[in-house]
Amino acid sequence: MSANSSYADNLKHHLRLDTAVENCVVREIRDHIEDKKHELIESGLSEKEASTAVTRFMGSPELVARQIYEVYSQGSWVQAIFAALPHLLVAAFFALHWWQSTLWLIGILVAVIGGAIYGWSHGKPAWLFPWLGYCLMPVIAVGILLVYLPGGWAWLAASAYIPLVLLIVFSVTKKIARKDWVFASLMLLPVPIMVGWILALEGQHGFLSYEQLYEFAPLIALSFAVLALTVASFIRIRQRWLKVGVLLVLEILVLAIMALSGKSSINPGGWVGLVLLALILILGPALLEKYLRRADTKSLNLSRKSVR
Amino acid sequence: MKYERELLKGSTDTLLLSLINRQFTYGYKIIKELEKGSKGYFQFKEGTLYPALHRLEKAGLLEGKWQRLPTGQERRYYYITARGQKALAERMAVWQNFSAAVAMIMQPASS
Repeated sequence: MSANSSYADNLKHHLRLDTAVENCVVREIRDHIEDKKHELIESGLSEKEASTAVTRFMGSPELVARQIYEVYSQGSWVQAIFAALPHLLVAAFFALHWWQSTLWLIGILVAVIGGAIYGWSHGKPAWLFPWLGYCLMPVIAVGILLVYLPGGWAWLAASAYIPLVLLIVFSVTKKIARKDWVFASLMLLPVPIMVGWILALEGQHGFLSYEQLYEFAPLIALSFAVLALTVASFIRIRQRWLKVGVLLVLEILVLAIMALSGKSSINPGGWVGLVLLALILILGPALLEKYLRRADTKSLNLSRKSVR
Repeated sequence: MKYERELLKGSTDTLLLSLINRQFTYGYKIIKELEKGSKGYFQFKEGTLYPALHRLEKAGLLEGKWQRLPTGQERRYYYITARGQKALAERMAVWQNFSAAVAMIMQPASS
C-alpha cells in the first residue's frame, strides 16, 4: 500500500463525518500528497523516500482528522432542538399527564416514527438518532411488560420475545455504529432510563399502579427533560471526548435522580446494575465499531490479495 | 518555541484570508506561498492547513470549489467571500493598531 493511500485511509478512518464531506476532505488531502510527492521526487528523492517524507510533512493523520471533525461536528441550534424534541415530548407526556389519554400516546408514537423516517431518508443527520431510539422503545417496553403476564405465560412469552428484541436492537445498533459509534450511544440513551423507571415503579403486587404513576410523573418528566438537555448539548459540542462525557455524566445523573426518589423500588444492587447497563449501552458501541472496522479491513485485505 | 507557536496559531486565519484575497488558490500552493512569502519563516505541518481552510469555509469567509485543470486533474480552489473580505479588513485594522502599540512599548522613540 502506498504512503499516499495509507495516510488517506488512516485519515478517513478517524474522520467520522458525513460521507460527502469526508470524501471531499480525503480527495483534497490525497491531491496535496501527490503534489508534495512529485515535488520531492523532482528534488532528487526516490519514490520510497518521497512517500516517507510526505507522511512526515503532513503531520499526524489522527490530529488532522480530529481538527477537521471539530470543524463539522457542531450542529446548529435548530438541529439541537430537533434532537431534543422526542425527549421533550416524552417529558411533556408525563408532566402534563398525557399518559391518561390513548390519543396522546398514539400521537407521540406517530410523531416519533414520522420524525425517524424523515431523518433516515434525508441523509441520517445527527438529530435523527434520539428519534430512532424512541422507535425502539415500544419494542423494548413490550419485552419488559411480558414478564408481568400472569402465571407461567410470562417467561414463556418473554423467552421467545426478548431474544428477538435483542436481535433487532443489535442489528440497528450495528448499522449505526458503522456510521459513527457515538450516534449508536445517542440512540440507546433512553433505554436504561426507561428500564429503570419500570423497575422503580414495580409495586408489591407486580406492575405499576395508576396512583404510583401519578406520584412519579413529575420525576419521570424531569428525567426525560435532562435527557433532552443532554442530547442538545451533545449536538452543540465540537469535541468528541466531551460529547461522550456529557452522555455519560448526565445519564448517570438521571439514574441518581431515579434512585433517590422517595418510594423507588430500586435497591442499591439494582442501581449499580442500571449504571452498568448505561455504561455498556454508551461505551459498548465503541467496541462494536472497532470490531466491525477490523472485520472490514480484514475482508478488504483478503479481496485485495485475491485480485492480485 | 511555544510563544511563536501561539502567535502563529492566533494569526493563521488572517494569513490565509490575506493570501487568498490576493488570488484564489489551493492548499498545496498556499503552503508554498506562505513559505516563500515569509522567506521560510512560516512552515506548517501541511495536513494542519486543511482544518483551518475548512473552518474558514464553514464560517462563510471562504468558498471552496472543485475545478478541472487543462491536464484533466481536479483541484479544490479557495475563494474569499464578501464576508471574508470584511473580516479580513477588520482583522488587519486590529493587527495594525496592535503591532503599532507593541512597537511603541518595545521600541520607544528616543526623546
